Amino acid sequence: MSSRKLPRLLQTPAVVLLLIWMLIPLSMTLYFSFIRYVLNSLRRPEWTTPSLSNWRGFGNYEFVLNSKDFLFAIQNSLFIVCSILFLTVALGVLIAVMINKAFPGQGIVRVLLISPFFVMPAVNAVLWINMILDPVLGLQGLAVNGINDLIASLQGAPGIGWFFSLWPEIEPISFRATQTSAYAVIIMVTWQWTPFAVLIFMTSLQSEDQQQKEAAVLDGAGTYSQFRFLTLPHLSRPIAIVVMIQAIFHLSLYAEIEIVSRGNGNKNLPYLIGEFANNNIGAASATGIFAVILANVVAIFLLRMIGKTLME
Amino acid sequence: MAIVATTTKFSIYGRPVLAWIVGLIFFFPIFWLVLTSFKTDADAVKPEFLFFFTPTLDNYLNMTENYDYWRFATNSVITSVFATVFALAVGIPCAYAMAFNPSRATKDVLMWMLSTKMLPAAAVLYPMTFITKSIGLFDTHFMVILVLMLINLPIVIWMLFTYFKEIPKDIIEAGQMDGVSTWGEVKEILIPLAWGGIASTALLCFIFCWNEAYWTVRLTTTEAATLSKLIEGNRAPEGLFFGRLSAVSAAAVGPIVVLGWFCQKQLVQGLTFGAVK
Repeated sequence: MSSRKLPRLLQTPAVVLLLIWMLIPLSMTLYFSFIRYVLNSLRRPEWTTPSLSNWRGFGNYEFVLNSKDFLFAIQNSLFIVCSILFLTVALGVLIAVMINKAFPGQGIVRVLLISPFFVMPAVNAVLWINMILDPVLGLQGLAVNGINDLIASLQGAPGIGWFFSLWPEIEPISFRATQTSAYAVIIMVTWQWTPFAVLIFMTSLQSEDQQQKEAAVLDGAGTYSQFRFLTLPHLSRPIAIVVMIQAIFHLSLYAEIEIVSRGNGNKNLPYLIGEFANNNIGAASATGIFAVILANVVAIFLLRMIGKTLME
Repeated sequence: MAIVATTTKFSIYGRPVLAWIVGLIFFFPIFWLVLTSFKTDADAVKPEFLFFFTPTLDNYLNMTENYDYWRFATNSVITSVFATVFALAVGIPCAYAMAFNPSRATKDVLMWMLSTKMLPAAAVLYPMTFITKSIGLFDTHFMVILVLMLINLPIVIWMLFTYFKEIPKDIIEAGQMDGVSTWGEVKEILIPLAWGGIASTALLCFIFCWNEAYWTVRLTTTEAATLSKLIEGNRAPEGLFFGRLSAVSAAAVGPIVVLGWFCQKQLVQGLTFGAVK
């Protein structure tokens, strides 16, 4: 066998498998997005089987674009992803700079820090929404109750009681409500992915040029300007990589959204597709195509930005 | 001067303390999950038993009774192990060819593979369910293994590629001169040299398979359902069964978290595709 053929042959199984995995479902989605296709319809039973005679053109796309949830879902998807990216990168840089230098127990702190990254998303969501953020039974509820009780008891105290009686009773926040459930998702995913950012930034900081830093110190550079003009530029590449990898994972965020806010307003694009797919497959498929377009826009943007550094 | 300026009191005492506090904060939810798993359902929601309570093992002992834990756990192990093995079986030859005989298209192929990861699963969910149901593979181990393998294949190939790239080409070429077959090359030279990289790729793939919660939930009902399906199915206890739920959650994530502790260093290097050293 010639030396050119064999490498191709070795790559073939992987390439073919991924091609099939991508193309067949995607072309079916494309097909369904152009026909009327619903799972249950008493009035029009002919729509319940996929067929070219139910051709609808761009009707499904129009329907989706006009549905009140669509723009909101896109906005919400971007809001959630961007917030997570911002928080994980900011927290990640701060923590990495803080724990980079050797100190007693550094290894243990590393292990403690990385642990959230391995937690199953479903467990993450169940744990946070029920046991930590729940306004009555979770730690949040217990903490708010404790503080209120403390204030109430201080109100009876002589001398300072009048001061505490001015304080309002604190209300716990319900993270299952329409507005707040997005925050709950952001909190839990940030908790899970900040460790990942920290570890990558730490690895990168280890290769930072120490001589340059010492020279800067001799020139009278303060801690802040060292960070701003030496550390931060050094971290630009790992930051780009953290952003890319997280974007890959968070654009299709689903388990957390579903567990936190089933039936509430906090939808992202994948969740909206799931909702349509309960009955209207045509609309779900059209939304899916929009999601593919959005993912491609992000992917092209990110791969352009980062692709080169990866291949070096 | 310089030394005096950088070793302030803060960096000697403050920094480690702050680092420990941050580490403990991040670990706290997991600690809380484990702690709650030793409380009875009734104690778990009482503020007076927050930290001091009579620990009980009942939640763990009754896991089979309450949740049929072992069936789901067995399915998780089976599907994750086989998906990882198959992903490596397909990924190693591919990454090997890409690293040692790169063509002009190699970079684009790699990028394309990564871009398939960005494809929103929800967009193709219905066709996938439709296909699997019509060929009778819905809720089978085979289908779950296949899907898990496919969604992780791009990451596996990328990671292996970066590890293989680090191996000097000369060694492989020397083998070729000596007339070693391709299979011999892989077995005698590549695998021993890249053993660490392959192992951490396998571990990471296993972790991702174990934690996968989109397809495993939607392509199964009972037969091939994994632990993520079990957790999803019991997600809304509204405080009634915190103890039980914590035990089953802790048992679902425990093995993976411990596994992660051992491979965290290699994992970072692998996940950044070698771009951060």
